[in-house]
Amino acid sequence: MSESRRRKMRTAVLLLAPAVAVLLGVFVLPMLYILLMSFQNKQEHISLVNYATLVQDPYYLQVLWRTIKLSLLTVLACLVFGYPVAMYMAQASSKMRGIVTFLIIAPHLVSVVIRNFGWVILLGEKGLINNVLMQAGLIDKPLRLMYNELGVVIGLTDSFMVYMVLAIATSMYQIDVSLYKAAGILGAGKLRTFLNVVVPMTLPGMLAGSTLVFSLSMSSFVTLALMGGTSVKVLPVIAYEKIMTELNWQLGASISFLLLFSTVALVTLFTRLVETKRYKEVFSS
Amino acid sequence: MSRKFSPLGIIAFIVVLFVISPLLVVIPTSLTSVKYLSFPPIGFSLQWYSKIWDRPEFVDSFLFSLELAALTAVIATLVGTMSGLALHKYRFRGSGTVNGLLLSPLTVPALIIGIAVLLFFTRIGLAGTFTGLLLAHVLISVPYVVRLVLTGLSSFDYTLERAAYIMGAKPLRVFIDITLPILKPAVMSGMIFAFLTSFDNVTVSLFLVSPTTTTLPLAIFSHMQESLDPLVASISALVILLSLVFIIILERVYGLDRLFGSNSHSH
Repeated sequence: MSESRRRKMRTAVLLLAPAVAVLLGVFVLPMLYILLMSFQNKQEHISLVNYATLVQDPYYLQVLWRTIKLSLLTVLACLVFGYPVAMYMAQASSKMRGIVTFLIIAPHLVSVVIRNFGWVILLGEKGLINNVLMQAGLIDKPLRLMYNELGVVIGLTDSFMVYMVLAIATSMYQIDVSLYKAAGILGAGKLRTFLNVVVPMTLPGMLAGSTLVFSLSMSSFVTLALMGGTSVKVLPVIAYEKIMTELNWQLGASISFLLLFSTVALVTLFTRLVETKRYKEVFSS
Repeated sequence: MSRKFSPLGIIAFIVVLFVISPLLVVIPTSLTSVKYLSFPPIGFSLQWYSKIWDRPEFVDSFLFSLELAALTAVIATLVGTMSGLALHKYRFRGSGTVNGLLLSPLTVPALIIGIAVLLFFTRIGLAGTFTGLLLAHVLISVPYVVRLVLTGLSSFDYTLERAAYIMGAKPLRVFIDITLPILKPAVMSGMIFAFLTSFDNVTVSLFLVSPTTTTLPLAIFSHMQESLDPLVASISALVILLSLVFIIILERVYGLDRLFGSNSHSH
């Protein structure tokens, strides 16, 4: 190694040192520490007791299933409502596109606690929706719109919509406009063009958005606590309870890894399924 | 295809309304004169704003959050900018791996980072301390700064630096007069984004605060679990206005769309 290259290398190492130190001390070591802890019993001996509990007790499987179900519903809601927004953004003038992008992203930079509080105002017993429905005479007594699974899905959809919209919009922007013309010349109607051109072309965006929204929903805690009340138990909520209330750190650590592992496994499985099944050629580009 | 009021436009309008309505309703609700939450709000008064000052936990946690977020922003910006420069300027064997490592905290849920840091910091005696909380906030903010700086550097022309060296400028002078001005938008947005990441955070803080070091979002979170009154609305309205200032600066300096261009999570 020449003198100048060595000096360059030394500068690079010095510049990176603080970040690597933070990463090691506040991320890598803590993660390894709780991984070890998840394989320990309460007496801190190596044991599989935590994972055995998670697999054998049907309670935890129910909670896992509820976590997956609510995350899938959130993905579905984000897809259904986010897709038209992305389509609109692709067609709109650059000014409207800018406005919509700003309005979709900006709320995301305000704390989730405050956004959830806004939902409490809207969905509560004396909230906007119940007031409107009561005034219109459609219902006699307030509907229960939160502190249940519905409230959770509404809160999560609001939180993660931005990722779905931006992911789909990105792939929408890449569609060559002449493709629409070509489809039209070949005699395809609007619906056919949409199904055979637009949908396949935006599939990578939908997949990217879905996996992101799914992963984020799986590990959401704040929205679950504020809009799900005490009745909606999901993995993040019981991990919190085990660690902060019951002080069973070993079991809490293993629940964290169950959450991490099931999320990664499902996302991988889903990606494989979509990529190998039908639209392989779309993804290979 | 710029027809006004197309069906697609109407759906887009409704979804945008859905996303911004939780923030919009907070401000009128904070001006209510009754003791419970209702929408549309009943009456008009500023009582819920004056009541904030009777609740030291909110005032203190607000000041604490500001302090924590400001420190986090400064440290994360320094650390992240240094790393970004090192990774881009001095491409060395393994720099790709280091880059991936630096961004890796983004791929692990904040909840799990919070749990891991709490258990590990308890072991080494940092749990419940200000240093512990600050370190955790720096950890979750640095990846954003690194990414922004790398994006800012991607079109950086190093011949400018070389030209300055040839003209006889010292390395520090080159950095201050050439490199920094070009990187300024990326570094500034990185700093604001780090500030907001820290200021908004609940999930990681949740595990690391102590009675004397509570952040504002966590104080609101705890209060909301016990009672729901318009007091939260007045505090939230102030936070929304403050955040809006930063959001508008970000939009002007960098552009929110570019900020979210590649996938970024903040939960």
